Amino acid sequence: MTTLLAPGAAASRRRIWGIILRDFYAFRGNTPRWIETVFWPTLELIIWGSVSLYLQANAVSMAVSALLGATLLWQVLYRSQGELSLAFLDDIWSRNLVNLFVTPVTVREYLAGLVLFGSFKMIVSATAMGGLALLLFGFGLFGMGPALVPYMVVLIVMGWALGVFAIAVVLRFGASAQVLAWILSFVFQPFSAVFYPLSVLPAAMQTASKAVPASYVFESMRTVLAGGAFDWAALGIAAALDAVYVALALGFLAYALRHARDHGKLSRFGD
Amino acid sequence: MANVTVLDVRAIRKAFGAVQAVDGVSLRVEPGEIVGLLGPNGAGKSTTLHMVLGLISPDSGTVRLFGRDPARNRTEVLSRINFAAGYLGLPGSLRVWEVLRSFAFSYGVARPAARVDEVIELLDLGRLRNQRFRELSSGQQTRVQLAKALINEPELLVLDEPTASLDPDVGDRMRELLLAQARESGRAMLITSHNMREVERMCHRIHFIAEGRIVAEGNAEQLAGAYGVADLEEVFLKVARQ
Repeated sequence: MTTLLAPGAAASRRRIWGIILRDFYAFRGNTPRWIETVFWPTLELIIWGSVSLYLQANAVSMAVSALLGATLLWQVLYRSQGELSLAFLDDIWSRNLVNLFVTPVTVREYLAGLVLFGSFKMIVSATAMGGLALLLFGFGLFGMGPALVPYMVVLIVMGWALGVFAIAVVLRFGASAQVLAWILSFVFQPFSAVFYPLSVLPAAMQTASKAVPASYVFESMRTVLAGGAFDWAALGIAAALDAVYVALALGFLAYALRHARDHGKLSRFGD
Repeated sequence: MANVTVLDVRAIRKAFGAVQAVDGVSLRVEPGEIVGLLGPNGAGKSTTLHMVLGLISPDSGTVRLFGRDPARNRTEVLSRINFAAGYLGLPGSLRVWEVLRSFAFSYGVARPAARVDEVIELLDLGRLRNQRFRELSSGQQTRVQLAKALINEPELLVLDEPTASLDPDVGDRMRELLLAQARESGRAMLITSHNMREVERMCHRIHFIAEGRIVAEGNAEQLAGAYGVADLEEVFLKVARQ
């Protein structure tokens, strides 16, 4: 008889590692995914870098740093959400979801595996973009100083929450809802004040933006790049909103799983 | 293995809207026993299996695995069982050894590399070890599915049409392998199949299910006798056409 690890933390770590390995093998063996990890961020960087150089040449101050900083940080949020959702969709497309749900891997362990490997891919992507921004446009991401770390943490956690929410929507409404996994972060983009200050939005949208953690990050980023002080209060609000987003996403996921088991929807992901 | 009833299903029911998919099914599987669940398409076989596996919640009735409620002891119970079905896939871009290794980790196997080697040898997958799953023929994919299903040396193996896409030669060898697994390791199995000869050869007991209900139960000879026919195939036809 094969010895299984005794129940406990070591067995849990082993199961999480199983999810990470699976994603790593899938990533390693999929050249288009490697290219995609770097291609789209690079394309965005070149477009916005060029636009900002043009604006700067026309005496619009701070254009390069604000737009490039926004482009890079937006990718952090987008990638965090996308990597989580995509890993789950891979299991649907390969008809592997049922195999996964009959393993002893818990939902918490599954998400932990997706988050850890997704973070690795996001770091690869952000590093490549940061290097290119420096090389092509002379913009150093670390020019934002120590503020960069909390900014990234807030955006990563928001991305994870949206990723979990997208997974829950697909579980609840079926594979036909998978388009949401691609567009969800873009639904939040206009309210996140990524490329413009909050003040230019219509009043109703400004109010909605106050409920979006990313809007505090991008507003604060522009202040810091303009030489202003880091706004700790804004960061605190963003972190609190992140906690609410995560709690809501996990709550919706628990409901979606219960609903899927009650209505036989998990089984249908094997069809 | 402890001599506890492996699977004890009592009066489970499941409706999807107006359709009563499973209507009071009860069955038991003891250690080392191979139990078949037969019936026409749409009879409720897969729904029953999926309730055993926790993929579908029963509306009423109970499922006990190793004497425990799987809903409350999910991780412990699922680490002792495994599942393979002809209609499932595995990550296509992974090589065969990568698929098996990631599942070995997911089941908490203590020596994953050694166990992967063992099941690769057991299922005669040595030549396919470095092939990507999506590049395999359907028969080869079925063998990898079976290897995955044996990765944790489960005490209960749940198989939904396990040999459906295998040619007669490979199908026969897989049946031999599964029988040896039951004989030598005391591994219990719950199987659905439309291959009546396979069921006759493998199963100690057979449950016929129609319109969500168990309508007959016994070994192949008993069932043929009860229906006054020569073999299981004719029993199936009678049940399906009733």
